[in-house]
Amino acid sequence: MPVIEVEGLRRTYRTRTSPWKRAAREVEAVKGVDFAVERGELFGLLGPNGAGKTTTIKMLITLLLPTSGRASVLGYDVVDDPREVRRRVGYVFGGDRGLYERLSALDNLRYFAELYGVSARDQKARIGELLELVGLTGREEERVEGYSRGMRQRLHVARGLLHKPEVLFLDEPSIGLDPVGARELRTTVSDLRASGTTVLLTTHYMFEADELCDRIAVIAGGRIVAEGTPADLKGRVGEGTVVEVEVFGDAGAALREVQTMTGVRSAAVEDRGHAQSLVVRAEPGAEVTQRVLALLTGVPVGRVATREPTLEDAYVELVGQTAESDAAAAAGEPDGVEDEPEEVRA
Amino acid sequence: MTPVGLLRVLALGWWFHLKMLARSAFNGVLQVLWPLFFATIAFLMYGLGRGDRALLYAAIGASVMGVWSAVSTSASGAVQRERWSGTLELLVAAPVPLPAVLLPITTAMATVGLYAMVATLLWGRFLFGIDVSIEHPLLFAASVPVTVLSIGMLGFLLSVTVVRYRSGWALGNAFELPVWLVCGFLVPIGILPDWVRPISWVLAPTWGVRAIRESALGGQPLPDLALCLLLGLVYLAIGVLAAESVLASARRNATLSLS
Amino acid sequence: MTALVNAARIFVFGGIMSYRALFHWLTPWILIPSFLVGPIAQILLFAYLGRSAGVASDEFFVIGNALQYAAIPCLFAMGNTIGDERQQKTLGIILSTPAPRVPLFLGRAIPVILNGWLVALFALVVGGLMFSIDVPASAYLPIVLVSLVASFSCTGLGLVGAALALRVRETAVLANVIFGVLLVFCGVNVPLDRLPDWMASVAQWLPLTHGIAAARSLADGASLASVAGEVGKEAAIGVAYVLIGMAMLSYFEWESRRRATLEVF
Repeated sequence: MPVIEVEGLRRTYRTRTSPWKRAAREVEAVKGVDFAVERGELFGLLGPNGAGKTTTIKMLITLLLPTSGRASVLGYDVVDDPREVRRRVGYVFGGDRGLYERLSALDNLRYFAELYGVSARDQKARIGELLELVGLTGREEERVEGYSRGMRQRLHVARGLLHKPEVLFLDEPSIGLDPVGARELRTTVSDLRASGTTVLLTTHYMFEADELCDRIAVIAGGRIVAEGTPADLKGRVGEGTVVEVEVFGDAGAALREVQTMTGVRSAAVEDRGHAQSLVVRAEPGAEVTQRVLALLTGVPVGRVATREPTLEDAYVELVGQTAESDAAAAAGEPDGVEDEPEEVRA
Repeated sequence: MTPVGLLRVLALGWWFHLKMLARSAFNGVLQVLWPLFFATIAFLMYGLGRGDRALLYAAIGASVMGVWSAVSTSASGAVQRERWSGTLELLVAAPVPLPAVLLPITTAMATVGLYAMVATLLWGRFLFGIDVSIEHPLLFAASVPVTVLSIGMLGFLLSVTVVRYRSGWALGNAFELPVWLVCGFLVPIGILPDWVRPISWVLAPTWGVRAIRESALGGQPLPDLALCLLLGLVYLAIGVLAAESVLASARRNATLSLS
Repeated sequence: MTALVNAARIFVFGGIMSYRALFHWLTPWILIPSFLVGPIAQILLFAYLGRSAGVASDEFFVIGNALQYAAIPCLFAMGNTIGDERQQKTLGIILSTPAPRVPLFLGRAIPVILNGWLVALFALVVGGLMFSIDVPASAYLPIVLVSLVASFSCTGLGLVGAALALRVRETAVLANVIFGVLLVFCGVNVPLDRLPDWMASVAQWLPLTHGIAAARSLADGASLASVAGEVGKEAAIGVAYVLIGMAMLSYFEWESRRRATLEVF
């Protein structure tokens, strides 16, 4: 039986633009999401900022009520049995906040241990164990205000594990971490999975999802646009080639023509600082380079490279498709939903 | 949750938040100075007119002003502060009911007010010669913590009821002086209009201050103390009920975090 | 002439910007408790304290506290302005522009002073009604005018405080302490002739003292001309504080440039 089950989950936010105006805007952050996570899996929710990842995770941790749809964690419904869910899950999020600055790390852990129901007898041992796990032994008497971002993140993880949760929710845990810190975190996370904890991780770093996760759901614009193992997702783009053309001018006009060319799966223009990059995904066997360059006559071009597709390409394509279809939908319905839903306060 | 477990959560929560509050030097200085200004005015005015008894009355009441101030200005912002430090979500996500998390916070705030209490009594003693000798020390020693606890419970009620409004702190602030007046800290409630009297009676600080005064100056503090505690428990009960509805609304309207 | 026009423009524009910033966050939930309930609560507390101690009259406390409550935000206005600029790291930039300083900073205080004006009026009217004070209707406008002057001189003191706060750091504590000092010394609640001599002397050099005295005379039926002396003193004190504040700011700025303490600005 899956540990996490999500069916048709939706969440709409209402925001008021100013306290004096009565009009409110409705933003649908999560537009009907379905997935399931099995016991012991490390499941990734991968998507760009504003895709609805944090909203989804908060609904699963019972901090947000869904507007419609169902979700259950370990068999307990998140709306009807929040307390049962809370006893068995841990929540860790990235960033600097979520800890009491003026207390020492040890005091923070003691306080949260008490709040999360760790019995008095077990607290000392458990805290010691976790400090060791996250590599903070010896620094626990220091106040958190003096901790670096990496240390805070590790303390966060320790805090989330105090009550030995069966399911751990990690919301963008490596955000803002330096590469070393991020790598340490990833090691900790995979060790966790190895010890039998089910983990649901949200991230916008696809290499992180690729490296850690057993399965990934790509979420964009509040919807899941693809689901599968990293290999599956790479497989979707496994065939064919990618042609990247460095363009020092406006590639926009050529883009539309390229997109309709035979043999082209998709094309997009990416900003690379001093130049733009026209990225063309071609069907296997299709020769597109010459035709693309022909369309770009008159526009200065630089390097032309041909390569194998990566998970990043799959991701960009999936996310790009959603943005386009949302934009089209929004264009068709003037008072419809925004195409880049942000998490805003009600 | 076992009763012992609950007591542990309350006690440890109180202890840790007290630690945090005590470590904020800025808070400390202001919280001690603030009531001193008002006490000084009261002492100057009473010193001119009435005489020693009135001064003693004012000195004791003034000392408790600090405990209320420490709570009124901070309690209504307690939830907002947790939201700012990113810990509110973690507190709500804990299996412990939210009231058991908030009550220790507001009680710790009230406890910090004890610094002001001592400072005001010393101020009165050394600058105005107001000699507060304590008639029933044991009862005094009991009255003070009970008053502090009840004010903490009132603070808890405040923290829960204004939490929906991001500017709840303004409401809390607005209650500071009215409570000083209505609960008879500086003036006997007898001189207030009749219709105010019932309001004074349902506010725990009224009875707490009375109990403290009577244990210092002589009287029957026990009934007052009992009433003070009873009212505190009533606030607790109302607060617990309100917390349920407030939490549900916060989950519906996504107001537990800053983003 | 252009200098004057420029100064006026900076003055007004700064004021408008400050107004918008002020009211962007001012919801009814802040407005009502802070500006409407606050002054009335203060008046009530001290009026009853006065009754209990047998000191002065209800009218004494209504006027004293109404003017004080209205002037206090002006005390904080300068501190907040400077604090905000410093937080946004624009203070050094502003101080280094050729714009004349005085209208620049004072312009920011305008909405706060105007706001205080309205609060004073409200407190006087409501407080007057509650305690059935006998103030001639013709006195209201002059009293409110005097309140404006008192607010201005508090702004001046606020500027000094703000300049100090640049070095001292704990702005909020300083501001609240000044509030308390004014409440005790300036005859707001304790009649000057009943204060210890040294306190009454200090009060002569603080804002509010003269303004409140003038307002009380006006409430008793005195003419505006007869209180001109007190009002003049109040205004002069205000100007003096503004000058001292500006001098301090310039000094600290020069000093920070000399010592390269960029963090201050």
